[in-house]
Amino acid sequence: MKGAGERPNRSNFGGSGLDRRRFLAVGATLLAAGRSSRAQAAETVRFGLTPVFLTSDLELLESLKAYLTAQLDRPVELVQRRTYQEITALLLSEQLTAAWICGFPYVQYRDHLELVAVPVWRGKPLYQSYLIVPRDRAAQGFADLRGDIHAFSDPDSNSGYLVTRALLAEMRETPSSYFGKFFFTYGHRNVVRAVASGLAESGSVDGYVWEVMRDLEPDLTAATRILRHSEWLGFPPIACARSLRDTAMVRRLSRALYHMAADETGRRVLEMLRLDAFAPADPEIFNGIAAKYDLVKSMG
Amino acid sequence: MRVPRFKSWPITIRVPLLVALLMVGISTVLSQRILARLSETQSEHLKSLTGAYLDGLSTSVVPNVLREDVWEIFDSLDRAKQRYAGLNVLYSIVAKADGTILAASNPRTFRTQGTVPEELVSRLRDRDLYLDETSKRAFSRRKLVYQNLDIGSIYAEIDISGLMAERNEVLLTLIATNGGLTLVFALFGYVAVRRMVRPIEVLNDQVERLRGGDYRPISDDRLGHPDSEFGRLFRRFNVMAGSLREKEALAARLAEEEKLASLGRLTSGIAHEINNPLGGLLNAVDTLRKHGAEPDTRESALDLLQRGLQDIRDVVRSALVTYKGSSHPERLSRRDLDDLKYLVKQDISRRRLSLDWRNEIADIIPIHGGAVRQATLNLLLNACAASPLGGTVSFAARLGDGMLVISVADQGAGLPDAIRQAYEKDEPERSLKGDDRGLGVWMVKRLVAGIGGRIAVETAAGRGTLIRLDIPLRSERGMGNVA
Repeated sequence: MKGAGERPNRSNFGGSGLDRRRFLAVGATLLAAGRSSRAQAAETVRFGLTPVFLTSDLELLESLKAYLTAQLDRPVELVQRRTYQEITALLLSEQLTAAWICGFPYVQYRDHLELVAVPVWRGKPLYQSYLIVPRDRAAQGFADLRGDIHAFSDPDSNSGYLVTRALLAEMRETPSSYFGKFFFTYGHRNVVRAVASGLAESGSVDGYVWEVMRDLEPDLTAATRILRHSEWLGFPPIACARSLRDTAMVRRLSRALYHMAADETGRRVLEMLRLDAFAPADPEIFNGIAAKYDLVKSMG
Repeated sequence: MRVPRFKSWPITIRVPLLVALLMVGISTVLSQRILARLSETQSEHLKSLTGAYLDGLSTSVVPNVLREDVWEIFDSLDRAKQRYAGLNVLYSIVAKADGTILAASNPRTFRTQGTVPEELVSRLRDRDLYLDETSKRAFSRRKLVYQNLDIGSIYAEIDISGLMAERNEVLLTLIATNGGLTLVFALFGYVAVRRMVRPIEVLNDQVERLRGGDYRPISDDRLGHPDSEFGRLFRRFNVMAGSLREKEALAARLAEEEKLASLGRLTSGIAHEINNPLGGLLNAVDTLRKHGAEPDTRESALDLLQRGLQDIRDVVRSALVTYKGSSHPERLSRRDLDDLKYLVKQDISRRRLSLDWRNEIADIIPIHGGAVRQATLNLLLNACAASPLGGTVSFAARLGDGMLVISVADQGAGLPDAIRQAYEKDEPERSLKGDDRGLGVWMVKRLVAGIGGRIAVETAAGRGTLIRLDIPLRSERGMGNVA
């Protein structure tokens, strides 16, 4: 039963990951034909969202949409998908103007993507990954989690997968060899739910999401306990396809994001997101994630 | 206290009680039916509710079971918990066909990759719903089938204490309502039937009075409507009581007439008794007048006079005691019986009979002396009349077993059946009154019955007759009065 929850087709490592990158590149080329309607597409800004934050909050989505619409003076469509992978594919194929993705896909497709902005949380564009366990569990460290039923967020998530995967790689282990069983919940909040309910005995979760949830759903986080904090890593950024980097729309979008803290609606959005601001991004902050990706990749 | 047998209870209690019991019985049966129906409805309701719950779940869960997507299965179970708030699902488990748990709504109890508890599996081995009323739980299972392949099962345990509480509430309401209604109906039935059968009590009282010799009719205010059943019955009863009253009055008059006839005969006997010595007495007076100077003759005449007068005195006194009554009617002395000899002496001597007299009464006994003497005298006179010339009339009186037993026997031709029956039957035929031998039968019967005695007759054609009176002595209290 070990590793029954693993989905090789979703693995980002080894040959399959490269294959997919190639596939995505080909897909993007093919879709270039569809870009005949580019002018029309430019009319509507399509902004992709991943479950890096609490996408379930409709009020937040409405406010964000209202802010962007007002700032860009264009209709804005917020595009959501269940997995990171779906959003990444849409982004690479230029079907999205930009998307809020995770640091991990950014590192994976660095050559094809360009940073638009990065959120500032508690004064820094950084966040951590947490390893959480049920509050009443006696485990002292990662070593106690061997044989667990473990909940990951998404195979393309840095905090919800890569960090723990790299930790295992350092121990010459894989999720299949180390955990009794693991599964993906496709949402950081779901990881917290899985651990709080006891469905999973441990979980890998976005530290920023866990902290925001502590404000919004204290009962849920109270049922869990942080067993391990990762080092500080680059906060999930907003990125666009490199080919669109210099378009007026992307430039306007960046400005709108940087301006957010100065606008009333923007401040309300930031408040709901518990973020300080959006700032121009330095690709260097993702080096930590890149190192983890390399480590895992080197394991084969 | 011993409870009397139901059959001996008055009908005025029995019938209303039966009505009340019937009400209780009907109410019990009805309540039982309602509860059984409720139980069935509840089961059906639960079945359809769990069916809807499990059907909804299985639809969303099947693709995830195929992929063994633990999170999605859990998420479905978790969301269903909120969606089916009307059904108190304690937990639900989704397991693979081999019994390995994929996810449960409470994963702490049913760990993913664990096995479904054997107890749960065995309870639902050949059914989809199992109700355990003691633990107030229902267990349900739904097989997950994909392309005709059994890919797993959903198990659920449901708290049915709400249903049970509802049933108990209905039971209590039923008991309270039915109990109350039954009580009211039973009471109403009791009162109504009691009213209906009340005339029976009146009739019973009246019949009881009749037995005691009170022939008064049912009073007008109790007669009721002449068209009602009891109204008609009471009126018929009054007619009957009236005719009984007339009959009784007739009988009393007859007895009085007989008494007079008997008295007449006795009087003639007494007159004869007095007349017999009178000739001798007058002779003695003559002798005294003529030869009174001779001492021997005078003595002998005076002696004769004295004996004659003594005889007369005995006869007169006996008659007085018998018919005027003694100063102590509640008692009887030996002498009171012995004196009867004087009253039958004339009949005895006239028919040259011998009298066998055995009086074993030692002293005074507590009994109605007047009635005993009159009855005995009548029997003796009848015996004298029945005996052939020169025959013997026997009299015996003794005490035995709290009774005074008096036997009078003759050597006559025996009593005709009619007269014998007249003595022994409760009511003698009136046609006897003209028969000489039957003279006084009516009176004897009345006298003996009046003091609670019985008459027995032994008779055979040509071999005489023995009539025995068994008369109970009066009670201790009566004795006290005597003393």
